[in-house]
Amino acid sequence: MKPISELLKETLSKSPVWAEARYHRRNSQSVSVQKGLVKQAKSNLTSGVGIRVLVDGAWGFSSTSDLTPQALEKTLKLAIECAKSLSQLKKAKVKKLPSTKLAAGEFKIPGYDVLKQMPFEQKLQAVLKAEELTRKNSNLITSATCLYNELFEDKIVMTTDGANAASQLARNEIKLGAIAYKDGDMAESHESVGKTGSWDCLFSRNSLTQMSDNAAKLAVDLLSAPKIPGGTTTLILSPAMVGLLSHEAIGHTVEADFVLSGSVAQGKLGTQVASPLVTMCDSGTVSGVEHSGGELLVDDEGVITQKTTIIKNGILNSYLHNRESAAIFGVEPTGNGRAWLYYDEPLIRMRNTYIEPGNESLEEIIASTKDGYLIDCPLGGQADATGEFMFGAQKVTKIENGKLTKMFRGATISGQAFEVLSTVDAVSKEFLLDLGSGYCGKGQPAKVDAGGPYVRCQATIGGVQE
Amino acid sequence: MSQYFKSEREKLETAAEKLLAYATKSGADTAEVCGSYGLKTKISLEKQDYQLASSDDGYSLGVRVLKGHRQGFASCNSTDPAELKEIAIKANEIAGFSPENPHYSIQRAENIPTEAPHNLVDPALTDLSLQTQKDWTRLMVSEATKDKRFRLNEGTVEIGTGLSLLINSLGVRQMEADTIASWSLMGMGVEGNTITSFDYFSELSRKAAATPEKIVLSTRKFVDEVIRNLTTGKSESYKGLVIFTPRAVLDILISSLSYHFNGRAIAENTGRWGLKDRDKTILDSRLTLKDNPWLTDRAGCSSFDREGTPTRPMALIENGVLKNFCLDHYSAHALKLSSSGHAAGGPSSLPTVSTHTLCLSSGNESKASLFTRAQQEQKSFLVVHRYSGQSDPITGDFSGVAKGAEWWANGERKYYVQETLISGNLFEALGKDLVGISHETEVIDSDEESPTLLINNISVTGG
Repeated sequence: MKPISELLKETLSKSPVWAEARYHRRNSQSVSVQKGLVKQAKSNLTSGVGIRVLVDGAWGFSSTSDLTPQALEKTLKLAIECAKSLSQLKKAKVKKLPSTKLAAGEFKIPGYDVLKQMPFEQKLQAVLKAEELTRKNSNLITSATCLYNELFEDKIVMTTDGANAASQLARNEIKLGAIAYKDGDMAESHESVGKTGSWDCLFSRNSLTQMSDNAAKLAVDLLSAPKIPGGTTTLILSPAMVGLLSHEAIGHTVEADFVLSGSVAQGKLGTQVASPLVTMCDSGTVSGVEHSGGELLVDDEGVITQKTTIIKNGILNSYLHNRESAAIFGVEPTGNGRAWLYYDEPLIRMRNTYIEPGNESLEEIIASTKDGYLIDCPLGGQADATGEFMFGAQKVTKIENGKLTKMFRGATISGQAFEVLSTVDAVSKEFLLDLGSGYCGKGQPAKVDAGGPYVRCQATIGGVQE
Repeated sequence: MSQYFKSEREKLETAAEKLLAYATKSGADTAEVCGSYGLKTKISLEKQDYQLASSDDGYSLGVRVLKGHRQGFASCNSTDPAELKEIAIKANEIAGFSPENPHYSIQRAENIPTEAPHNLVDPALTDLSLQTQKDWTRLMVSEATKDKRFRLNEGTVEIGTGLSLLINSLGVRQMEADTIASWSLMGMGVEGNTITSFDYFSELSRKAAATPEKIVLSTRKFVDEVIRNLTTGKSESYKGLVIFTPRAVLDILISSLSYHFNGRAIAENTGRWGLKDRDKTILDSRLTLKDNPWLTDRAGCSSFDREGTPTRPMALIENGVLKNFCLDHYSAHALKLSSSGHAAGGPSSLPTVSTHTLCLSSGNESKASLFTRAQQEQKSFLVVHRYSGQSDPITGDFSGVAKGAEWWANGERKYYVQETLISGNLFEALGKDLVGISHETEVIDSDEESPTLLINNISVTGG
């Protein structure tokens, strides 16, 4: 049997139009444990080829899991048929894709082989132990969970205009949860980490034992925490919360497809959209940070990933592009074309999105805050084209006269992202990418990471009204 | 089903039987294979225009094995015998080192009841041409772009045909075919400098003849809802009455409430209620919540579940009284009961527990009367449609943004609000704080159904 790269090359050689063939083989394994019982331990293997073509300014796409030359040729024909059919309807024809330096060669992120060689049984035992440590941390913990996922990705992206990139990476994540109960009251907490690399990469900041301890302690502490009063106030957002803000509330609005649809960022390039203290980037690799959860060397269109400065000192500097949108805007593609599986077409997606660090320490920022809250431990969030966002946070600590005082139960914070960023008056030098266990959803999932420094701003907390 | 998918059905059945045999040969005491075949053609919209036409077909097979009380699972997207053998071995390997759990089980299921919806296939959808699909897409685009203030960000019109299979080494053999036309839109309203939140809807139809009209009507309704949000203002902060429209009831309250009917949560004692609470009043006596898997126009329709157990309509709450829980074989075994046909999932995942199509029953007063009551008791109030936020099923606390909510004052709708946060507790909202239930109900996204509710003691934080 011929190597898959040869089959792709042969298939593309038969294409009368611009075409892109993407082979993707994913092996995933996961294990989850609750209350000492393995809830699931599973392995999944998915492989196939997606072929995308551009005919008369319209896209066609078809995919197959059958990796024979005949099936690939049929898939190419189907893609062409789809594109031809659509071209009769399409108003704004896709222009010629921009000529850019396309990736060729091998792109490997370290950690794949080490993680692959580690027996699944060993990972399962670690997960069992972590759940047990969490559950037995306090008599008040009534239930604990631990979930581990790993993805081994092997891809080849080939295009008729020169891309020929083979990439390999492994992503993994571990999530702990604890439920505490006392006198009819319940509280829940979560602790998670996600990386691109080996098993050990997951625990470069906190050991699994420390993570168990953190999850259990937070659940117990939240039991006695009161609900927070609602209103607009001063907040210091943790790196994870800053990551959510950067990804959900700004990042999505600057994805060029959203911009073209009329997102709030449309027409704002070169204008002041945030405090001059804010510089925000989206990048495949982050200087000084190894094994980030969204690490990516080459995208699914065969473009080498760039560091894109979205906001530079408060000025909107760039949108995020795939090859199509780059052609529309007359700029270089930024390497943001990503597809979840072989049967998904590439969309504009983020990688690692973050605000760059500042000069103050967190301690100094807290000391100079008269009244406000420190917001940490995100519980997910959403934003829309207006930049309006909503994030949940598990841990909210009151700041009074420059000191952290009491903890409140989780709250929801919201605001208009650009307005909130315009109120930023302090940015810490501590920096962390802390959302590597997260997935971004946009029709298809994507592994991303996000973070930044501690940032002080004004936003609304949704709490209890008396 | 007989004349459709003949070759695909044979290929799927052959592969599934092979996988089952490989699993038992590789050491499994018992094994279960879940498989599917799917063919879909999709036309995608983006940036107010047609973006992509695509087609995809493929098989997916997963095997669950038991060795004593140890369980393993592996899956692949191939019918190639070598790959099937590989995953059978892998599943057994995982079972070999997994700890024992006495509740893992693969059981013999009964036959599908005669009342179950056997036929989910419309030949007219199965044989639909790409041209007709293009025509339907054109209908949607035409309706969506009539009002220039609406910006179509993303959309799809998809025709999917598929087979679901479940067999096990204890004799269960189930297969079901389904055809679905589905469509979705995501967009926002833009007028001058005013931009609304982006909104999303999806609908489906299992009948080709009814599809074009449903596409037009659902698109029109969606665009109207988006555009009206252009008239925006700010809400006040208060604690009191809020009207929850059907989508809000389902998104905020029922989605979290359903956790407490999940057999796994009951077996693990992480739910609010347990077996001892059956036949006890747990919520307001006007509330009846049913789960119905036999509604053929809904997304959750199926005649058997992920373990091959026949499905059946079931009351979870009747007049505020707890009646039933949703059980798969695992939770049923742990609770010493029988599965209720609520094992959920597909070939690439182990069974979990989920509801099919939840329907909250109607009340006895009109929606208009709920508004009148709110106006009489409060000078101004919020009407919540969509929600983006956190709902903690354990505590019942919810807190999030009411998107595109209406602000009512002095007996009339003033405007739509942005950046308004609401918070409350679902058990209180459906208990002591429930003021009224409308007799009109609405089906949301071709699946779950709910009336409008008037609820007290909700915290509203204006932006």
